[in-house]
Amino acid sequence: MHLFNWNNAVSSDTIKRFEAECKCKVQETYYGSMEEALAKLTAGAKGFDVIGPSNYGIPPLAKLGLLQPLDKAKLPNIRNLNPAFANTPLDPNNQYSAPYDFTVTLVGYNADKLKSLGIDPTSWAVVFDPKLLAKLKGKVTVLDDPREVIAAALRYNGFSANSQKPEELKKAVATIKAAKPYWAAFNSQSYIKELTLGNIWVALGYSNDLFQARQDAIKAKRAFRIDYTLQKEGNGMTADSFVIHKNAPRPDLAHQFINFMLDGKNAAGITNNVGAGNPNAAAKPFIDKALLAVPAINPDAEQVKQLEQLTDLNAATRRAWNRAWTDIKVGG
Amino acid sequence: MRNNRLAKWLISGPPLLYLLLFFAIPSAIMAFAAFRFPGDYGGLLPLMDVNPDTGKTELLINAANFREFLTLENFARFFQEPVFFELFIKSFWYAGLTTVICLVLAYPLAWLIARSPKKHRDLLVLLVILPFWSNFLIRVYSWMIILGPQGYFARSINAVLGVIGVGPVQLLFSHFAVILVLVYVHLPFMVLPLYANLEKHDMNLLDAAQDLGANAWQRFWRITWPLSLPGVWAGAALVFIPALGMFAVPDLVGGTDGIMIGNLIKQQFLDSRDWPFGSVLSIMLTLAVLMLAGLATLIGRGGKRNAL
Repeated sequence: MHLFNWNNAVSSDTIKRFEAECKCKVQETYYGSMEEALAKLTAGAKGFDVIGPSNYGIPPLAKLGLLQPLDKAKLPNIRNLNPAFANTPLDPNNQYSAPYDFTVTLVGYNADKLKSLGIDPTSWAVVFDPKLLAKLKGKVTVLDDPREVIAAALRYNGFSANSQKPEELKKAVATIKAAKPYWAAFNSQSYIKELTLGNIWVALGYSNDLFQARQDAIKAKRAFRIDYTLQKEGNGMTADSFVIHKNAPRPDLAHQFINFMLDGKNAAGITNNVGAGNPNAAAKPFIDKALLAVPAINPDAEQVKQLEQLTDLNAATRRAWNRAWTDIKVGG
Repeated sequence: MRNNRLAKWLISGPPLLYLLLFFAIPSAIMAFAAFRFPGDYGGLLPLMDVNPDTGKTELLINAANFREFLTLENFARFFQEPVFFELFIKSFWYAGLTTVICLVLAYPLAWLIARSPKKHRDLLVLLVILPFWSNFLIRVYSWMIILGPQGYFARSINAVLGVIGVGPVQLLFSHFAVILVLVYVHLPFMVLPLYANLEKHDMNLLDAAQDLGANAWQRFWRITWPLSLPGVWAGAALVFIPALGMFAVPDLVGGTDGIMIGNLIKQQFLDSRDWPFGSVLSIMLTLAVLMLAGLATLIGRGGKRNAL
């Protein structure tokens, strides 16, 4: 069974248990951003059975005819889904997809450093306000991902993370350009390591990655603590789902895998091992109590209101975002 | 006579076919893509589609509507916005600087290896290529650890700088890091052609020069250096061209303003769903390199004429 998925999404433990159950071998291939995955799939990458895209990646994949509808008869466990995550506008009636986790894009930080500097990480200002950044110069990284960084800048300016308005995009880009000279790098690959080494103090990143950074710092017995928090201006949130490739060599194993991952206990493993939020209602009893207390994993009703699921932008807006991103990356 | 010609074709055929299949045709596809529009979900706006009524594949483009499918806008964008030209200049500067530093570092090393006892030379050459035994990315990641503010290297440097009263410098995520790693990665490509050239020099020439009263500098500058020029050019090409297109190094150790032209091209294909503009950038890069190579050839020819 060939799985094309986010790095750091499903633990090797879970994969091993599935391999024992299906008596098959799971071959995993990873990607670091949704756009990278889309680029490879549209270019005709073949041989994958199950793909684990972010939900905003599902409409393009479906419109390109790269997905096959799920056979619900083979997925009895799909009833375990939390209704809040089932049947979303990105995939009505879960025709193609079954969600397995959600991640929030937020700020991870070196708790001791920020405390000594007197900086409050619960606002996006810590990433975007030049006044605060003056104290953090060269110690901040943001994801190398236009969708996530522009969404955060939009929320910081009080707009929707899915804004399609050119003037709002303009403001967000101005915010990013003003902050960029203070950032160390655009980094989606090594920010977990840089945080746990103490090389950087603030990272705009994914909740599951920052969970790992926190665990790594504890395991390495660092003199400082890594923590992460939601921002009061609101955060972008992305559910990730499993879908089956149109030309999957083994659709039978693909369904078996998705049903396996929808089982409460297996689904809970995603949260327990990777620190992602869980869209599976049956998983809750199996999730560590300590993790349920983390807002980015188990947000309360108030916090849920501030989380905005990223949608697929229309073509004109996306082109404008991408051009803006090129200008941001090239401009001095 | 005929057999001779057949042999020529048999020998040159496979490499020609290879170049045609994997260079000429893809380049032509890329050149065509540069005039098209991006597709909504990546790739290119299709020129043909399956007609839902007939089930047949039909060409969408025709004489009346070709402006909806073909455009000069991608090229216009490149020439209208100076940032792209600036990025080209910067990338050429990075690659050029890398080449010069590699040459300065590699020349003495290659000379020493070429002049060492014959039984040691193979071992020394082996040591030069030893780093290739570990993966390129692992070597770059090692530099990230060395250059990181918490690494011993960076801490030692900053401790020394602190004594003379200069504030701590950021080594990782900087221009310095990009150049340093580019030099590190490409150095063997400069050493090897230089060594291959220097090893063949006839030592009698230097002895003769010495007998005629040339000092060490004159012997180097008037004999060794001109004779080694083919090796210098080969090494420079092997370093300059890959360094120019590099995207992994700036991605990993460069800061927010450390990107090179390779990063921008990669971004168009992998992040921005804009293959046409990525094609324009690739074509411009190829043209720029060709122009540079042409210029170098011209200068080389001029030099030879003068020597005669």
